[in-house]
Amino acid sequence: MVTWPKEYGGRGLDLIRWLIFEEEYYRAEAPTRVNQNGVFLLGPTLMEFGTHEQKSKFLNAMATGDHIWSQGWSEPGAGSDMAAIRTTAVLDGDHYKINGQKTWSSRAAYADWTFGLFRTDLESERHRGLSFILVSLDTPGVTVRPIPQLDGEPGFAEIYFDDVIVPRENLLGEDGEGWKIAMATAGFERGLMLRSPARFQQTAAKLLKLYYKNKDQCSPMLQSKVVEAWAESESYALSIYHTASKMLAGGSIGSESSLGKIFWSELDHMMHQTALKILGASAELADSSEHDAAQWIKGFMFSYGGPIYAGTNEIQKNIIAERLLGLPK
Amino acid sequence: MNFNFTEEQLQFKNTVQSFLADECTPDSIRDGWAAKKPFNNDRWNKIADLGVLSSNLPEKDGGFGIDQVALSLMVEEMGYAALPEPVAEQIFLINDLMPLLPDSIKGEIKNTYQTGGNFISVAHPLSPNPLFLNDAAGLLLFEEDSYQFALKEDIDFIPLVSNDPSRELSKLNSIKKSVSSSEEFEKINSAVAARGALMSGCLLIGLAQKMLDLSSLYALDRTQFGKPIGSFQAIKHMLADVAVKIEFARPTVFRAAHSLFENNPKSALHCAHAKYMSAKAAELACKNSIQAHGAMGYTWEMDLHIFMRKAWSLMACWGNEDKQQDIIYKTLTSSEEELGVLYTF
Repeated sequence: MVTWPKEYGGRGLDLIRWLIFEEEYYRAEAPTRVNQNGVFLLGPTLMEFGTHEQKSKFLNAMATGDHIWSQGWSEPGAGSDMAAIRTTAVLDGDHYKINGQKTWSSRAAYADWTFGLFRTDLESERHRGLSFILVSLDTPGVTVRPIPQLDGEPGFAEIYFDDVIVPRENLLGEDGEGWKIAMATAGFERGLMLRSPARFQQTAAKLLKLYYKNKDQCSPMLQSKVVEAWAESESYALSIYHTASKMLAGGSIGSESSLGKIFWSELDHMMHQTALKILGASAELADSSEHDAAQWIKGFMFSYGGPIYAGTNEIQKNIIAERLLGLPK
Repeated sequence: MNFNFTEEQLQFKNTVQSFLADECTPDSIRDGWAAKKPFNNDRWNKIADLGVLSSNLPEKDGGFGIDQVALSLMVEEMGYAALPEPVAEQIFLINDLMPLLPDSIKGEIKNTYQTGGNFISVAHPLSPNPLFLNDAAGLLLFEEDSYQFALKEDIDFIPLVSNDPSRELSKLNSIKKSVSSSEEFEKINSAVAARGALMSGCLLIGLAQKMLDLSSLYALDRTQFGKPIGSFQAIKHMLADVAVKIEFARPTVFRAAHSLFENNPKSALHCAHAKYMSAKAAELACKNSIQAHGAMGYTWEMDLHIFMRKAWSLMACWGNEDKQQDIIYKTLTSSEEELGVLYTF
């Protein structure tokens, strides 16, 4: 909330100060923020598309942590192909009636609210006729079923909607404009907001220390991976500073956020893979505190998610090829 | 911290970009190859007239006094055009180094060097075979623990053949007469190595971008199975991978340049980082570009290899990726200070 206006519970500071905050946050080894889907994805979207009433109601509660948010994009038949969404929201007077199912809904296992795309025009196809709606998970007819993850944590969940009644004022933007709004949110997710560089710089520093302490027991070949980790996390930071400078000068972030998403997710995986190689046979000791083995193993498993969530890296490469390199669909 | 470029910096870049688009076409480079005279005197004189060769000299010496960030922007364009003449070498390795040299050497160079009229070649253990020595007025030579300046007529050398016909190289046999010094050797040697790394890094970014652009155009144009090959994901993903590498190498070059500008004590590390990242980007650009071109990419006829050959040479000299990696590792592990999330701002 560093960059949010004061009236919505923020500090009203610029992006560079946000980056400074992030550096300190990771330097202090502070925990993952439970509300990051809300703060980094819905927050900026509400700021851009929300009415005054929506901003006052949702942003302050998000800032204080009273509302924990999850995201509702994917469906069983709509993963990488998000425009195949089938969950419907039918307008009836002053409310929508929602039916269908969402899945891979990050943080829904313990969230209070979800935001996502629903088909409001039943005759529509693909990305037309979708709307961006905010749903309280306490509403009758909502069933949340946590999905145990690879790392054993209940991070994501399925959400079932059975005649769920949602007031019309929970529509963000115009009816049928959902795709456009979701694309803006997806840009935040891939780009600047969710993956601050400090996280990767901190991992690279720990990796370098881990190698340095254990270098007599492991292959010298690993040194080049450790340098690569430092060099790439540093490059990622520089690139983000460049983007932040551009945005401060009035520019906006576009499809180049796809470049960043591929870069940090591959980097994160490479760093954890290298750590496990340095650990040798200890790399299977899931509760060992020696050399933080348990933490590296957890991070290693989590790093497999990076190239998948927020739009798989394959989808990002299509976006880069089509929108930045001008190749045909 | 502001990563935006100033209008003045962008103006220098744009001037060089449009000049080279007209004057340094692949055809003109091929003409130089055919004549076995890749150094084009006419183009060199025009570049001198534009003020590029003296752009980073102080205003009192007839220059514009522009900073290293603007130089990097210009040199990236020289890479993009695969400019054969050693313009990047003059502005980074001579002009930018001059203030650091001791008076004895500086005086000799100043007596010989007329910016634009002639040029000084450079040799260093990381790049031992000087470029275009035949056309040069003199040579600044770095050895294991000293450096010297010699006039061309006092040097005995023989030609070497580069894999890039745009680069005329020489092997040094002996030097009859020179001014030599070992004053502040460590500092000056590290300064020239850093500038060599940064200069080759800037050129490699431009070359990688050019190869990506050529490949994207080719993938739009070439049809197989009834569609442009660029519509296939196998091609899209290969080229997207190159775009990612370039995107994250480019800011390291500008940071290194800015670091030299502000005399940052870590500038040698930053220059090594820039070369490391840009060499990796260029390496993938070569590999994936030739693959996207298919058999055409393996021909002499296609322009792609003009850029590929220059990239291969520049990846190898002034410290290849592995040498830079050693510098980075040694620097990171030599200090007791906290690593990682440093006080960036």
